[in-house]
Amino acid sequence: MSSYLDTLEEYRDLIPEFHEFLEHLRKPLPVYFRINSLKTDLMKAKAFLKDEGVDFAETPIDEVVKVLHHDHQRPLLSYLLGYIYPQAISSCLPVIALDPRPEETVLDLCAAPGGKATYISQRMQDRGFLVANDRKRGRITPLLSNVKRLGITNTLVTQGRGEHLLLPYSFHKVLVDAPCSGQGKYRIDPHTGLVKYMVKGKTNLSAIQKALIKHAFDMLMPGGVLVYSTCTLNVEENEEVVEFLLKKRRASLAPLDLPVEYEPGITHFRGKRYHGQIRLAGRFYPHKIDSVGFFVAKIVKG
Amino acid sequence: MSQGIFADFDMFAFSRQAFLFRRQPFEIKWPEGAFVRCGLPFVRNVAGFLKPTTVFIQRFGKEARRNVLELDLDIIASLCIEGEISLPTLSESVDIQGYVIVKFKEHYLGTALALEGNRLLCRFPKAMRQALSRLTLR
Repeated sequence: MSSYLDTLEEYRDLIPEFHEFLEHLRKPLPVYFRINSLKTDLMKAKAFLKDEGVDFAETPIDEVVKVLHHDHQRPLLSYLLGYIYPQAISSCLPVIALDPRPEETVLDLCAAPGGKATYISQRMQDRGFLVANDRKRGRITPLLSNVKRLGITNTLVTQGRGEHLLLPYSFHKVLVDAPCSGQGKYRIDPHTGLVKYMVKGKTNLSAIQKALIKHAFDMLMPGGVLVYSTCTLNVEENEEVVEFLLKKRRASLAPLDLPVEYEPGITHFRGKRYHGQIRLAGRFYPHKIDSVGFFVAKIVKG
Repeated sequence: MSQGIFADFDMFAFSRQAFLFRRQPFEIKWPEGAFVRCGLPFVRNVAGFLKPTTVFIQRFGKEARRNVLELDLDIIASLCIEGEISLPTLSESVDIQGYVIVKFKEHYLGTALALEGNRLLCRFPKAMRQALSRLTLR
């Protein structure tokens, strides 16, 4: 058995309908478009997508459509005009959980390439103040490009290591969409049986994630909200990181109010027990939402 | 455009570009060492003239009261393919010798340069020129 199946096998008892989950990974990842209401309105954008030959279905999120068919060889004018952002539906969920409002100050600590940052700005109606940060110079370029293409004016882009970033502001809300092992993106090639989108490396991701969540929490105003998310199923990178914060800081989890089906956070795994509040976090499985698997936790300061 | 549209914004100039940034109720301190950019590129200095950026036109073009040129898709395609076209009615539609806004239906595409002799020069970014030159709609 190959290593990815070994990895996934350990979730057999955690993931509901595990066989369905494995079967689902044999299907290609569906494409979703988020409509950018800063440049157009939803009805007009959807009509223009149809004019451009894109067949799509509605989703539980008004501004997100699931693409059923379009000619990938041809660049869409909707894209070049900044009307759409190709984005997995599950990738929108941390932003909905964060619930950024106009006039708030918000930080997206690991922002590149900008899918969530630009969605935050959209939900703030391009008002208030958003800082979009990323660590790597090479990832800043697509972030800048997307902020520009979507016509955003309320965003300050910074480059720095998230776990050490010093900013002269404190924030109402912070999003930490942490670098992760990406197990939620795993797909099985139906021809070769090999896994696609598998991240390899020896980086101690859990240590980075713990440093990020702690530093992000410290940049919040009292009563502020932090959303921690990853696109992995790995308990060490999800529940264990949230547990770490609960032990280190005066933090508590808040319930999620999201328009898609999810499972609660895990409180027992491989003989370890986690804080009972972690049940309030959400695990979004690919076969349940027909998208990338995600983990989302909403945390309140004080 | 009415000046009132920009009442909620500050303008910053970096290098040869000016940026439109949402005005904040507090004084913005630029983070030392980490700052990369803020706001939306607004105008660029091109050979001594201020050219509105494509992204600015796409977002704020609807606020323009004059120098807006609404063209059919086949004329836009010719403009993108040829790079320059002659429009017999150009001088009646816009001020000659300057940048004008090009729109198709309700879509603000970007700018073109209007010159004497009813010449119109394409100033769309390359990717958009390619897309518009091949665009077919249902």
